Amino acid sequence: MRRSKEKDLRRIMSRRGFVLAGAAVTMTGFLGARLYYLQVAQTSRYQRLSDRNQFDVRVVPPARGRLFDHKMRLVAGNAESFELRITPLYARNLQDTLDLLASIVELPEARIESVIATAKALPSFREITVRDDLSQRELARLAVRSALLPGVSFGKSLRRIYPQGALTCHITGYVSPVTQREIENDKTLEILPTLGTGKTGVEYMFEPNLRGLPGREKIEVNATGRPIKVLSDVPPAPGNDLQLSVDIGVQLHASERLRQGRWEQVTFGSHEVQAALASDAELQAHLAVGDDMILRDGNGRLVPAESGAAVVMDIHTGEIISLVSAPMFDPNLFTGKLLNRDWRRLNEHPRRPLLNRVTSGLYAPGSTFKMVVGLAALEAGVISENTEFFCTGERELGDSIFHCWRKGGHGAMNIVSALEQSCDVYFYEIALKTGIQKIRDMALRLGLGTVTGVDLPGEKSGIIPSHEWKLANKGVVWTPGETVVAGIGQGYVLTTPMQLAVMTARIANGKDAVVPSLLSKPNGAVQNFAPLDISESALAVIRRGMSAVLYGGAGTANSYQLGKEYGGMAGKTGTVQVKRITLAQREKGITKNIDRPWAERDHALFVAYAPLKNPRYAISVVVEHGGSGSSTAAPVARDILAKTIAERGLT
Amino acid sequence: MTLWRILFRIPWHILLIAAVLVVVGALALYSASEGSWQPWAGRHALRGAVGVGVVLLMAFIDFKLLHRFSYILLIAALIVLAGLLVIGSGPNVSRWITIGGVSFQPSEPAKIAIILALARYFDSQPQDRMQSLIVYLPALAIIAVPFLLVMKQPDLGTALMLLLGGLSVIFAAGLPWRYVGGVTILALGAMPLLWMTLHEYQKSRVMTFLNPEADVLGAGYQIIQSKIALGSGGLFGKGFLMGSQSQLDYLPEKQTDFVFTMIGEEFGLVGNLFILGLYLALSLSILRISYLVRSRFSQLTCMGISMMLFFYVFVNVAMVSGMLPVVGAPLPLISYGGTSMLTVFIGLGIVTSILIHDRQED
Repeated sequence: MRRSKEKDLRRIMSRRGFVLAGAAVTMTGFLGARLYYLQVAQTSRYQRLSDRNQFDVRVVPPARGRLFDHKMRLVAGNAESFELRITPLYARNLQDTLDLLASIVELPEARIESVIATAKALPSFREITVRDDLSQRELARLAVRSALLPGVSFGKSLRRIYPQGALTCHITGYVSPVTQREIENDKTLEILPTLGTGKTGVEYMFEPNLRGLPGREKIEVNATGRPIKVLSDVPPAPGNDLQLSVDIGVQLHASERLRQGRWEQVTFGSHEVQAALASDAELQAHLAVGDDMILRDGNGRLVPAESGAAVVMDIHTGEIISLVSAPMFDPNLFTGKLLNRDWRRLNEHPRRPLLNRVTSGLYAPGSTFKMVVGLAALEAGVISENTEFFCTGERELGDSIFHCWRKGGHGAMNIVSALEQSCDVYFYEIALKTGIQKIRDMALRLGLGTVTGVDLPGEKSGIIPSHEWKLANKGVVWTPGETVVAGIGQGYVLTTPMQLAVMTARIANGKDAVVPSLLSKPNGAVQNFAPLDISESALAVIRRGMSAVLYGGAGTANSYQLGKEYGGMAGKTGTVQVKRITLAQREKGITKNIDRPWAERDHALFVAYAPLKNPRYAISVVVEHGGSGSSTAAPVARDILAKTIAERGLT
Repeated sequence: MTLWRILFRIPWHILLIAAVLVVVGALALYSASEGSWQPWAGRHALRGAVGVGVVLLMAFIDFKLLHRFSYILLIAALIVLAGLLVIGSGPNVSRWITIGGVSFQPSEPAKIAIILALARYFDSQPQDRMQSLIVYLPALAIIAVPFLLVMKQPDLGTALMLLLGGLSVIFAAGLPWRYVGGVTILALGAMPLLWMTLHEYQKSRVMTFLNPEADVLGAGYQIIQSKIALGSGGLFGKGFLMGSQSQLDYLPEKQTDFVFTMIGEEFGLVGNLFILGLYLALSLSILRISYLVRSRFSQLTCMGISMMLFFYVFVNVAMVSGMLPVVGAPLPLISYGGTSMLTVFIGLGIVTSILIHDRQED
């Protein structure tokens, strides 16, 4: 009995042994099937993943081409900066490590969050850049603590810098990180998200030349992302360096001189200035964007630096010697991560520092347009050099009366004396006789009403009206009164300071339709400008008139002559009404410019060329709401021309 | 028994398979350290040689001695395991004990102690009571207490193998089929309970296993990299020392838990199946010995050790190929680790001793 029981149990156990053996075989079969699935059925997929692990194609960003001024001084360059990177896999706890980093270097909470978000989207063995602008000091502080910071590493990168800062902001423009829209338009940018692209200025216009070609390195990397060996290597091709025609010496002087206008600079730190800064929102806005010039105006008030534009060009080559638009901004703010605060300050600044007034600021040319009207009249044969008209101080046309700026009138005027004294009535007369169409034709030939073609983006073409323009844009026909107003460069006429400089350069040049350029041209280079095709005798008359503005006994700018040592200059003032003066105001006696609110004051304009004989440089100056062209803009233009000749010479 | 008789009866084929596995392990570790005997491969081979010596030594020990000390062994193991929870070394993990500079994992020999204790327990039970459930409850306790202690360490992998090894002994002892079904249902029912006792990191491992891509950074990294390494190995592998995943450190723990993956990357499916075949042969050979021996103790011990070895392999391979969560289970005789290897060789020694001293023909 016991024996049989024993036997039964033995049989049960034997059977169980077989069951266990069967289970072991079956389960091993499962493992085999699983391995077959991974290693045979899915192997190509995993091989791909393995290659992606193993090989890293690193795009090596090219060094961006540098910008130099005419004398090879650096205007835009590349600074080596240090990057702080983290590899999440090796930073045992990402959050803790980042918190620790934040206690050593500056690391905002928002950046920590974005790093963690990036880490979640990437394989953990990929490095993430935490900061790309470590200072030497921060680097040293991190280096001594590196033992406490697993997964943290450092690297070098290039960052765009503008050593001249705000001084050249409207010339260079700036480079800033690639935007999503740029990537959509240019897929090659996708691989270089850390590279900046030019957004404005020369940086934008010459982007293809400056960018260079990225290099590619195929590297075998280990799990920590560290390179083991370089498998193939195409070095990056750096972008081309560019030499600009701009002269930093002239540029610096021009920016100081334009912004000072006719007032006196005050020093910071005085109790009065501090008190004014605390209460005056406008001064605060200027100071917040780095504008550190404060002036005392004719009424003893503290006011911010003048805003406006000044541009100097070579009348033969078109090279721009100086290009200033005030207020200015620091382009270095844009190269990294532009702070919201800085962007707001720039964008909400009442005087719009980001606007390049030279090419995109539109101003009625005022009396500086009189050369155009005079040339059109001379060419049309409406007048000759000696044709006289009598200025009584006003000109009637139908029911309207058009006033001359001088209440009592100028008396008998010819074209030269009319330019010298800027007689409005004379130009009303000849404008009416010449007609708007011929005036427009002359204006276009002198470079107005169309983009000049200077190497800057966003250039405005301005407006030179005509019968067709009026009908198309206003829906009504042109009236003779509008021709009268256009005769003194007001009404619909709008120009940019760049256009006015080109106009002046072409008048001085006489032969070529000079086109401005920001690139330095080699000496003796052949200029391929279209012929200007304006009669030399007519131009000579106009030049004589412009000379009389400075050297005539009644010249509107004869207090601001350019010394003989510079060879003298010829120019034309322009005072542009921003707000129409009403009849009531006229009867009360015109309020002095300075007693009106700033935004209602006249713009002060001046265009000039120098020297008188064999002219070389042309300039246009606009001081916004600066008062009269003679008292404010003329001395600015004279001083900048003097500096230009001193720095660049006349040969 | 004469020396010659003992030598004649030694299961040389089992020792041969074990030796081949140790050599495979040494080669794999040589590759894991980028072609160097340091720091793992040399010591591994040395330990293997010591292990073979242990087996040969144990051939001369009468299995009755094991029978006599089996309960004491279990109690000793339980005391050490309980003690570990109080004084274990390592932060938050009390798996290791250090005596005189030598660290070892007491949970490894505990596996064998459980098998021996269960075998002795069932050996002592009258034949006619084997159909009743009451007999199996103390056996469950023998498993449950060390299982819970190891879980608490926490070492989910070893606890799991301990449980599977123990349950297979109960099954082999003849647990009626109706109770087999009951235990299965009980085990499934206990899973939510088990889930609650798990540590955070263990829970995250399980969640990661269910969806590794959700946590590419953390625990999912290992599973993903292991699958990439295995899969990219293909049919024949990338060649010895050529596994890019392993050589470039993408594969974590390649000298211990993920050594099978490394072999798979360098030798492909062929290499992996060869190793699985060796393990299956080893387990089945030990299982076959249970048919040659006399006592129930001997039979159950052989079956238990056979299944323990099998589950060792199964849990590890299932884990590295993404079929089980990463629970931390080495591959016997191949993974680097002294305690695990010694445990396997002691198991083989016990089987040898039983075969020599408790053969049916005697």
